[in-house]
Amino acid sequence: MDNRITEHPILGIQEKGEPVEFTFDGKPVKGYEGEPIAAALKAEGVMVHRYTQKEHKPRGIFCAIGRCTDCVMVVDGVPNIRTCITPLKRGMDVRTQYGVSDRKFEEQ
Amino acid sequence: MNSVNDRSRDIGAFVPRDDDDMLICRCEEITKGEIRRAVHDGMWTMTEIRRYLRTGMGLCQGQTCARLVKGIVARELGVSPAELEPATSRVPMRPIEMEVFAKEAKEDGHE
Amino acid sequence: MNRVDLIIVGAGPSGLSAAIEASRRGLEVIVFDENEKPGGQLFKQIHKFFGSKEHRAKVRGFNIGKQLLEEADEAGVRVILNATVIGLYQDKEVVVRIGDEVVHYKADAVIIATGAAENMVTFPGWTLPGVIGAGAAQTMMNLHGIKPGKRVLMLGSGNVGLVVSFQLLQSGCEVVALVDAAPRVGGYGVHAAKVARTGVPFYLSHTIVEAEGEDHVTAVTIAEVDERFQFVPGSEKRFEVDTICLAVGLSPMSQLLKMAGAEMEDNPKRGGQVPICDNHGRTSLPGIFVAGDVSGIEEASSAMIEGRMAGIAAAEYLGYTDAETMQSDLEQLENALDGLRQGMFAPKNRGKLIEKTEEGIDISLNLLEKGYVSDDEIERYPGVTHRKGVHPVIECTQNIPCNPCQDACPKKCISIGKDITSLPIVVDDCDCINCGMCVASCSGQAIFLVDEDCGDGTATVTLPYEFLPLPEEGAVGNALGRDGQVVCKAEVVSVKTAKAFDKTYLLTMRVPKEYAMKARFFKS
Repeated sequence: MDNRITEHPILGIQEKGEPVEFTFDGKPVKGYEGEPIAAALKAEGVMVHRYTQKEHKPRGIFCAIGRCTDCVMVVDGVPNIRTCITPLKRGMDVRTQYGVSDRKFEEQ
Repeated sequence: MNSVNDRSRDIGAFVPRDDDDMLICRCEEITKGEIRRAVHDGMWTMTEIRRYLRTGMGLCQGQTCARLVKGIVARELGVSPAELEPATSRVPMRPIEMEVFAKEAKEDGHE
Repeated sequence: MNRVDLIIVGAGPSGLSAAIEASRRGLEVIVFDENEKPGGQLFKQIHKFFGSKEHRAKVRGFNIGKQLLEEADEAGVRVILNATVIGLYQDKEVVVRIGDEVVHYKADAVIIATGAAENMVTFPGWTLPGVIGAGAAQTMMNLHGIKPGKRVLMLGSGNVGLVVSFQLLQSGCEVVALVDAAPRVGGYGVHAAKVARTGVPFYLSHTIVEAEGEDHVTAVTIAEVDERFQFVPGSEKRFEVDTICLAVGLSPMSQLLKMAGAEMEDNPKRGGQVPICDNHGRTSLPGIFVAGDVSGIEEASSAMIEGRMAGIAAAEYLGYTDAETMQSDLEQLENALDGLRQGMFAPKNRGKLIEKTEEGIDISLNLLEKGYVSDDEIERYPGVTHRKGVHPVIECTQNIPCNPCQDACPKKCISIGKDITSLPIVVDDCDCINCGMCVASCSGQAIFLVDEDCGDGTATVTLPYEFLPLPEEGAVGNALGRDGQVVCKAEVVSVKTAKAFDKTYLLTMRVPKEYAMKARFFKS
């Protein structure tokens, strides 16, 4: 995907960590170690991070600084992880959150 | 006693509006209609609204909706938002796992 | 319980500044910040700041952030990151979450410098992925190198909305419209003008009707609003976008102060719930101070000065400096702060409609309503003059506290005078050597070097350019007017860079001479 800024007129080429692979809903995806999980997902074009508990509505990045908690996902089996401030690590298992689970509502 | 807390005041009946299904509290999924109705149910302070509906009690702790809720309640009461006391602030200011909250560091644990 | 002289909550511009001053006076200081990195929002600010030298004018925000961190390091400030203060009590007990533990600290003085949170507005579809805060856009593009979207609609014409729109363009995103329910642009005219001239249309007195999309935003409809903020039927406009960016103001994050029992007030001029405090940040609770946006929304430049003042006041409170020394230290800072709080956008003028400049010149209505000064309006400003040869044309049309241009010119062709908010003028015996320092030094990107008549029927216009890819010499493209519309063909004569320009490229283009005073941007 071309959501990454290759060279910025003011900031130049941004320093990134090691390229790593992780999984999103079981599918392998690439990112850079240490960048927020949300940044890596955004670079891959992922918009929906979770579906809400009551209305089952989609949510994604909203504040990007860990305040609004809209971007929470199930990471390595733990729900409600704020992906916008949680650094990406090699091999992380990142899953869409449905309510507070990684299982779709009809399977809950 | 200021007019905000004068509960004998008549604020009229609840009148449904087109935008009542607008979501206000993103975390607890509370709508504008629910908030407006709560005022007519007698919840006139931000603290009462919060306890009654759980607005601002979700994961984000009211970071996003506090100001919006205040505006809606003020309008329903016919007062300026500035006249409404914000809801109580208390520990913990940020969402925190119970496990962590209960785990106090030892005296010089971090020195 | 851990004891320390002074605890500061927040390692942003004000918190770090406070820590530096307090540490230098001998206090043992700890700064807590819930974020992974210090510096607050400074590292997302990539534009050059306004002000004068003492306010670090024309330095880009993230570079000011670096300087501040170095200064803090030298002063021996201890910053603990990923440390979330979850409680503050009246007796100055601070409860902090560090890692997976809760730690209790007790200080003799506390400075709260927690900053502000973004306001939001609601409309059908506002919870859809793709609707984001302006701060989120800045975080993604300027910290993490990710484009927030491909086609973006910006809601809000305050400085945040204007600055972030420009940043989006710099990151390679398309900004399809800049929208505000207010009838006039809220931020600095120069910030608006540099966005408008790239071709971004402004829709004032408009707001969002709804966002469309199943799983994420695919389109947005805006419509005009009347004086009572009701939609005008038939005025709807629809844009296909993947991102809607909200920049509708900030609210102080003052909850810790309320928790501790400080006297609070709801002050719309300060942005909401704020602690009642004096000029140096003393709250109603002895030994508890505030600095920066938490005590009233302003800019990073003023937050840094407020921080320094609170740091000094805290040092005096604990006896590390005497009242007399404090007074003289504070006086200098008060003057610096006073300098920033002048002009049309001063806190005291918030919400007022100002129709004339301090010089008595009519403010451009087009600037307020469309984001750019029209061709016939521009001639009335003192920086816009005509003469033979290359000369600066200064399109600075509002009184803002900023003066780097007058120091930038080695030939002293530009003068602001002693009043920092005065509109710059080009002196009569202007002896311009076409060095471009003025163009690069203007934080508002409002200075152009123009040769109105090169003798061959053409004119040259040198403009500040901060986009990639850089056009090549000899490239032919379109010259855009102040309104972002194509005015004529243009050929790139040169694209210059220099260390002193600090990443602002100087693009010189050749246009037919009748467009010398109209062509203000180049698009390949």
